Amino acid sequence: MALKQISSNKCFGGLQKVFEHDSVELNCKMKFAVYLPPKAETGKCPALYWLSEQNFISKSGYHQSASEHGLVVIAPDTSPRGCNIKGEDESWDFGTGAGFYVDATEDPWKTNYRMYSYVTEELPQLINANFPVDPQRMSIFGHSMGGHGALICALKNPGKYKSVSAFAPICNPVLCPWGKKAFSGYLGTDQSKWKAYDATHLVKSYPGSQLDILIDQGKDDQFLLDGQLLPDNFIAACTEKKIPVVFRLQEGYDHSYYFIATFITDHIRHHAKYLNA
Amino acid sequence: MEEESGEELGLDRSTPKDFHFYHMDLYDSEDRLHLFPEENTRMRKVVQAEMANESRGAGDGKAQRDLQEEVDELVHLYGLEDDHELGDEFVDENIPRTGVSEYPPYMMKRRDPAREQRDWRLSGEAAEAEDLGFGGWGSAGQCQDLREAYRYTHGRASEEYECYVIPEEEDEEEAADVFCVTCKTPIRAFQKVFDEHKEHEVIPLNEALESAKDEIHKNMYKLEKQIIEMENFANHLEEVFITVEENFGKQEQNFESHYNEILETLAQKYEEKIQALGEKKKEKLEALYGQLVSCGENLDTCKELMETIEEMCHEEKVDFIKDAVAMADRLGKFLKTKTDVEISAQPEFEDQTLDFSDVEQLMGSINTIPAPSAPVINPQVPNSATGSSVRVCWSLYSDDTVESYQLSYRPVQDSSPGTDQAAPSPPIIKTKEIRSCEEAVLICWESGNLNPVDSYTVELTQAESPEASGVTDSASLYRSVVGIPTCESVVQLQPGRSYIIYVRALNMGGPSVRSEPATVHTIGSYFRLNKDTCHPWLTISEDGLTAVRSERRTPARELSPSDTHFTRCVAVMGNLIPVRGHHYWEVEVDEHLDYRVGVAFADVRKQEDLGANCLSWCMRHTFASSRHKYEFLHNRTTPDIRITVPPKKIGILLDYEHSKLSFFNVDLSQHLYTFSCQLHEFVHPCFSLEKPGCLKVHNGISMPKHVTFY
Repeated sequence: MALKQISSNKCFGGLQKVFEHDSVELNCKMKFAVYLPPKAETGKCPALYWLSEQNFISKSGYHQSASEHGLVVIAPDTSPRGCNIKGEDESWDFGTGAGFYVDATEDPWKTNYRMYSYVTEELPQLINANFPVDPQRMSIFGHSMGGHGALICALKNPGKYKSVSAFAPICNPVLCPWGKKAFSGYLGTDQSKWKAYDATHLVKSYPGSQLDILIDQGKDDQFLLDGQLLPDNFIAACTEKKIPVVFRLQEGYDHSYYFIATFITDHIRHHAKYLNA
Repeated sequence: MEEESGEELGLDRSTPKDFHFYHMDLYDSEDRLHLFPEENTRMRKVVQAEMANESRGAGDGKAQRDLQEEVDELVHLYGLEDDHELGDEFVDENIPRTGVSEYPPYMMKRRDPAREQRDWRLSGEAAEAEDLGFGGWGSAGQCQDLREAYRYTHGRASEEYECYVIPEEEDEEEAADVFCVTCKTPIRAFQKVFDEHKEHEVIPLNEALESAKDEIHKNMYKLEKQIIEMENFANHLEEVFITVEENFGKQEQNFESHYNEILETLAQKYEEKIQALGEKKKEKLEALYGQLVSCGENLDTCKELMETIEEMCHEEKVDFIKDAVAMADRLGKFLKTKTDVEISAQPEFEDQTLDFSDVEQLMGSINTIPAPSAPVINPQVPNSATGSSVRVCWSLYSDDTVESYQLSYRPVQDSSPGTDQAAPSPPIIKTKEIRSCEEAVLICWESGNLNPVDSYTVELTQAESPEASGVTDSASLYRSVVGIPTCESVVQLQPGRSYIIYVRALNMGGPSVRSEPATVHTIGSYFRLNKDTCHPWLTISEDGLTAVRSERRTPARELSPSDTHFTRCVAVMGNLIPVRGHHYWEVEVDEHLDYRVGVAFADVRKQEDLGANCLSWCMRHTFASSRHKYEFLHNRTTPDIRITVPPKKIGILLDYEHSKLSFFNVDLSQHLYTFSCQLHEFVHPCFSLEKPGCLKVHNGISMPKHVTFY
């Protein structure tokens, strides 16, 4: 698969690049961002995947931390774009920009909206083949819908990711308005299919190896108050199943990138602990 | 010849031997001809030195005057026809000092058309416009350097030399371009051909310039040095001056005190003598008086007897005989008693030789410098000795004049003969109270002696393996700390090692034998729970690592507040070694236990709960209704944190350097929370049990890797 470099900027001694390629899973051109720390010049580094909007690369201030810990940070797009599907641009929380990291089963979405496979299969393969990363050391984290994506990718693939963390994730989409809207659109009405992409449900049947989950949630986050995020459900499930989680409710913080920027260093250190162990 | 000329001109300084005088012409060629007869072309006088000399003199006025004198001298010397010219020239030189005009120093304004023809005969003429009157040098640049040299030597303001600017006057004569080493003058190349310089060695002018410059610089450096020397000498003289005053003062004082001492002694002697005589007199008089009195008594008795006898004689015969017998007895007795008619006290007073020997001695010692008082050796400072050296400090009385000190020493053996005092008994290390971290250990011990000892010595050897014991004295000593005044010591160590510690006590009789050893491992931090701080409801185990709170049925009665032990919070503190750096320890707890673990300052209020004030930080776990609640308390505030898997072993990292206190779930290598805390003083670990149960402290654990990320 040919990679086309769109941009490259030096940052904290490393390089922040943006590439474009033709995605097989998504049948369209996809862009992704890659940050290569200085250490990548001389050896293979662990890979950390971030799921959220592309604004992450400029707004969240992760570069210094990534540079210090020597981590390659990969940020794919949130959904396929330019697929010309009817209705894809109607709302901001469904369709373009809101792929929900599922493999859609419903028309007209199922051809293009296969973000789950893209993120867990195609993209890592592409990255491993083209960049100095260690294929055995991979972690994932994200924000909001991306937080949901990170959690489900980790929970559905025990042992694939060394660690996972999230900012204000949608923890229980099956029960929140966003999730209901997205899942019914992408997956149809069979709720059993929905649970396969719901972190709270996945935890209940998680068999796998030890996961150490860090979650930061702004207390003043409007979506929390609106019941879109539902972290309590997730925590309760994790407590039940003894999945280690440290959930921090941060006083005064909201859903924005300012919140992410404040705690991104803690998250990167969390991942570095496992990726550099 | 040059030196002679110098002397002739009145240079009476002693110049260093290698101070070369270079030929130099003061005047322009044309004028020179006026001044110098032809045959004197070779006799160039170095007037440069003089010029420099007088320049170094006082202000302008004086220089001018000197200049005038020099001028006169030169005139006389060179047989000038017209000393006016000369005078003008020198005067010219001075004018530029005011910065007005730009006359070249020694260049005449007048130009003689006949110049050219004389040019060749004179070596090194400053012919061209660029050349200054330092004819011998041949180029403005050289003169510039020389000027620099002068400036350098005596620090004149550069403005004064502004005058030395090249005038833009034409001059048909050409510059010299080679230097004749033999004659030490610059010449033009073709001149070499001529008889004067035919056989001579010639070098390019630049070289000559360089070497001349070097010479000048060398000489300048010497002059500089001399200046410094003289300044130093002046300072030194000042010091000596002051010292003379001081010494005089001392001598004065000394004599005065001596003198006074003598006077006092004499006065004292006088008093004593007089007093002694007086006493003697009194003695004698009393003795005599006594005798007188007894004599009188005797007399009275005699008289009385006489009278009685006379009366008796007039009595009747019968009465007379009775009385006579009695009287005869009395008389007989009386007369038997001896009458002392020896005078008890002689009127003469003995001659007493007065002992003035001490006064003599004083008089004699008045001229000697008193021997200084014995210096006082300072007590040995801990850590001031090594295995082969010791640092001795002493102080003396400021009044003493001391020329030198003599230090002597002798080694004192354990069983040194002739010591009165027995060496002390070895101390006893309080092994349970040893606290350590990766970089240091705090040891304390009991004296082991009833009598006070002078100091203690701590000896450490490295243990090859952690189980090594019974090391003999011949093992290599890693560290020895001497002169410890109290029964505790903090010793710095290397991380990750094991050490064996001994303590000795030391007194006049020597050092004691080594105490029983104690072992220290510099892995992680070691501390014990401090029973003194313990709340009465807590029991601390023998090894100081477990705290137990037993079931209590009795209602809690108010415990009176205490400064040392906790009264409200059922807590205990540990004794962490007061050393900054990293400390890591672990606490084993039960999942269902309500506890608080953290750190606090030593003076935290013991009547309050841990975390309720700003002097303590702790992690608090409460288990109620099957729910685990976790708080991280400081000053009564906590962040909102949920933890899904309750830790059974909590790792605590105290980082003084980064002012952080972190908590971990050890089994999961999971980071729980980090406080940022200002640790201006040392803190101690603290633990509290809010319900019956127990917690156990684990020590000596090296910081796990996951903790290092924090």
